[in-house]
Amino acid sequence: MLKGVHQKLEAQQTPAFFVRGANAFPRMVFFCALSIIFMAVDARLNYLSHIRQGFIAALHPLEIVANAPSEWYRDIKKYFSVHNELVQENYVLKQQAFEHKVMLQRLSTINAENAHLRSLLNGDLPIQPNAILGEISHMGRDPFTRTVVVNRGSQHNVKAGQAVVDSIGVIGQVTRVYPFTSEVTLITDKELSIPIQVERNQLRAIAFGEGNNTLDIPYLPTNVDIKVGDKLVTSGIDGIYPAGLAVATVSQILQNPESPFAKIVCTPVAEVTNHLQLLLLALPDAKATAPIEEKITKDAKAARDNLEPPTKAPTKPKANTNAPH
Amino acid sequence: MRHTNIVSIYFTLLIALLCQLFPWVGQGIILRPDFVLVAVLYWLLRAPNLCNVGTAWVAGLLVDLATGSLLGQHALSFTITAFIALSYQRRLVLFNTWQLAGYVIALLTIERVLMLLLKLFTGNENPGWHYLWPILTSLILWQMMIVIFGGLTRPKTKQ
Repeated sequence: MLKGVHQKLEAQQTPAFFVRGANAFPRMVFFCALSIIFMAVDARLNYLSHIRQGFIAALHPLEIVANAPSEWYRDIKKYFSVHNELVQENYVLKQQAFEHKVMLQRLSTINAENAHLRSLLNGDLPIQPNAILGEISHMGRDPFTRTVVVNRGSQHNVKAGQAVVDSIGVIGQVTRVYPFTSEVTLITDKELSIPIQVERNQLRAIAFGEGNNTLDIPYLPTNVDIKVGDKLVTSGIDGIYPAGLAVATVSQILQNPESPFAKIVCTPVAEVTNHLQLLLLALPDAKATAPIEEKITKDAKAARDNLEPPTKAPTKPKANTNAPH
Repeated sequence: MRHTNIVSIYFTLLIALLCQLFPWVGQGIILRPDFVLVAVLYWLLRAPNLCNVGTAWVAGLLVDLATGSLLGQHALSFTITAFIALSYQRRLVLFNTWQLAGYVIALLTIERVLMLLLKLFTGNENPGWHYLWPILTSLILWQMMIVIFGGLTRPKTKQ
């Protein structure tokens, strides 16, 4: 009897105006707590990276659909590119190829010479880094971070931490790898820093991204020998970026009388917005590099021992020309 | 309150996510409306029996996963915004178009500010005033949703 009444009450439709989900406040508290836990876990621990990878892989078809219109636009633009433009581009490319060929001729002789000199010094030959050619599929979706997404992922042997360059200079570093795509953080991102060297005087420093299109070299004294227009290249001491890649040019030096440090603003040379193709340089093999370093230090020690005169002459400590960082 | 189909809710959320995934570049990313948030708010205010705080949380989590931001950021801000939206939901019947637009602007602003706070806590820079532009574009999107799917209440019958 009572059961019947109950059923009758349940079957009764509540008036549409009062239709409302369960009490929202406990739900809100519960989901807020859950998201805070997620944020903490994601920020401090790396448990969620697999979930993220799986989700991005599942999202890949959706991403292809979303990217399709811009790709069609690109293709159509390519198809209708004017004859004149193509001829001009062809001319420029031929000229460039010619120049590069001339430079390459010199390169082979210089390489041979370098190898010869290294063999004389008992040094090891630097390993030629492998690289993967990728293409920018789109810019990052978070307007706060400066990232691009590249169409090469863990299926193509991309690993987090790889350096990324284009034909002109360093672009950044692979920070997240998904199965078919990977996320490249640009050197202008606030989270990224890159060890650099001033090409003119070999001064070493670390450049930090500013979050807007520039780099900053902090903690250098106001009288440091850096001028506007100086070229900055990678120093190679981090073992991630090979030495000698162009990074940026110094565009502005601000002297703040209140600060003991100069504010050095640099603009990156790589043109992320103009080019689509980029190279993902393979990470140096840790096992391969470590013994070499050891050997070099050993060799250096041996050489120093040999060179050191038997008499205890006061040896001058070698002046440290490099700025501390 | 009109009859709504749960399939249409999830379908619009999927479309909104797709729009969010669209490759926005340059000025576009500054002006990009919060597609998913607008879709969630619309269904939240129109059909609170089918779409509630939990839906908002799931949608926020999906946005986090898709955009690659810290997991839970959007989920948290969507959840709080959804709760505030729901707390006045029953009074919306009395609102006219302009009042409703004002209410939605307030909700969108709350979400933006919450998101900004979370971003600042996690160490991002202050993005500047252009950070608030998406509120206006989202409002335009909201009006488009109203035009496409109809208003929140039953259309008035002529007396």
